Amino acid sequence: MANKLTVGLAQIDCTLGAVELNIQKHLEWIEKAREQGVELLLFPELSITGYRLLHLTSRVSCRIEEAETLQQLAAATGEMAVVVGLVEEDGQGVLYNSAVLLRAGQIVHVHRKLYLPTYGIFQEGRFFGAGQRLDLAPIGGEKLGLLICEDLWHPRLAQRLAAGGGKVLGVLAAGPGRVGSGETLESQEIWECITRSTAVVNTSWLLYCNRVGWEEGTFYAGGSHIVRPGGQILCRGASLKEDLVVATLDLREVDRLRWRLPLLRSERSDIEGPG
Amino acid sequence: MSETKYWIRDRLWLNTALAETVLSGFIRDAVETSRSKGVVLGLSGGVDSALAAALAAIALGPSRVHAYQLPYRTSNPDSLSDAEVVAKAFDLETTTIDISPMVDLYFENLAEGEIDKVRLGNKMARERMSILFDQAKKLGCLVLGTSNKTEILLGYSTIFGDNASSINPLGDLYKQQVWQLAQHLGVPQQVIDKRPSADLWPGQTDEEELGFDYSSADEVLCLMFDLGLSPKEVVDQGYPASVVSRITALEEKNRFKRRLMLIARLSDSAINLDREIPRD
Repeated sequence: MANKLTVGLAQIDCTLGAVELNIQKHLEWIEKAREQGVELLLFPELSITGYRLLHLTSRVSCRIEEAETLQQLAAATGEMAVVVGLVEEDGQGVLYNSAVLLRAGQIVHVHRKLYLPTYGIFQEGRFFGAGQRLDLAPIGGEKLGLLICEDLWHPRLAQRLAAGGGKVLGVLAAGPGRVGSGETLESQEIWECITRSTAVVNTSWLLYCNRVGWEEGTFYAGGSHIVRPGGQILCRGASLKEDLVVATLDLREVDRLRWRLPLLRSERSDIEGPG
Repeated sequence: MSETKYWIRDRLWLNTALAETVLSGFIRDAVETSRSKGVVLGLSGGVDSALAAALAAIALGPSRVHAYQLPYRTSNPDSLSDAEVVAKAFDLETTTIDISPMVDLYFENLAEGEIDKVRLGNKMARERMSILFDQAKKLGCLVLGTSNKTEILLGYSTIFGDNASSINPLGDLYKQQVWQLAQHLGVPQQVIDKRPSADLWPGQTDEEELGFDYSSADEVLCLMFDLGLSPKEVVDQGYPASVVSRITALEEKNRFKRRLMLIARLSDSAINLDREIPRD
């Protein structure tokens, strides 16, 4: 089994509601990534539709198995595993904010966002149903844990994915940026706090792919990055502009770290007390 | 000074380089998304419009920023000269349109005798915005708003006058953040240093009319609006009760100015209430 995995984070700007345009951009970025030998490429949350859809949500939704646009994308992936974000229709009247893993013309895995932020500027709970299942996605002989944005703020999910054998956690995000007094964007500081601590306590690689661009006065910060299983940031994309972040991960690094830092092995669910 | 005061002052401190990048990006994106040719704005000689002009010049280049001086006959002559200094600093061409004939004709025709100065001020603000939207139509541009967060929250503005615009890059900046960013972008010092005035009548200053200074207003509003403290909790931090209650009253009284289209809902698909369609 190959221990190396070349990953790419496609930090793109998405045009709200313009599915065709966004699909074209995905096809272009898949080609760019292929030229750099990428084996696993992540796009941001709702990359095919744009994020702040509100009542446009149902106009850009699709049945995953029937969507021609998705088949077009899947066909373009070749041997590359590509994760895209879209509005999924389940055929029973519920829409989901989903991440879909495509490879070799196939739809390999779907993750429906489990935690829908509905506070502040976020209104997801009004338009989406919350996913009900957490699963690992197969890539090659390895397992990939996929989460969408807010999912990462609920740490038990990442822990379950890592405990279940996920060595790489991929996070698709549409994280709005905030400017304060600090040297970097306030939003970036908070995200890196969470991505790094998630990688550390779960001794896993963490891939964070955030979008850029503006929607209705809100900007998305970019700053996509890859965190080593020990918590160090391996590489980081540009702030506020499109970027393709590429790196080759050594998956054995996870094993070697877990041997000497057995956090997952010693996790317990039998402790009595609050919560 | 209480711990909270130190802390709130830190919170109101802005990374101006980052704010410049983000806010100029906002203007550029809005112009491109709407396929507009540029922006128009009124240059009053004050710091808010100077900052908006500076950001627009950075975002689009000076040739796509159309600045208008729209004086009334009682306007302070310094306003005009300060606006010229600003235009020169950012390499902007300006057009001057005197609004006195239109405003005066309206009130003369009404023949109501002496007109309340607030009505006159409101009429001037709306006349200016009416001209800016007309010029924007002619030039294929967006109207750049210049209202800051402090005055929006206090409702210290004329509805459908200065608070109208196509896009507003300053609406999430408190007044002292406007000053910080203006300093960073090289807005002429005389414009930053002068006492803020809507210049709606001779000698008017914002702080005198409001009854408190902008720094206190920013801190009190930030504590209440951003962080959710109650008025009593703000007073407990050492802010004068009279100031807190005046700010609270203005904020409550003027909320209607922040929600510009109130539609009576009859169906289950009322615009903006049931159906929120993004404009982008």
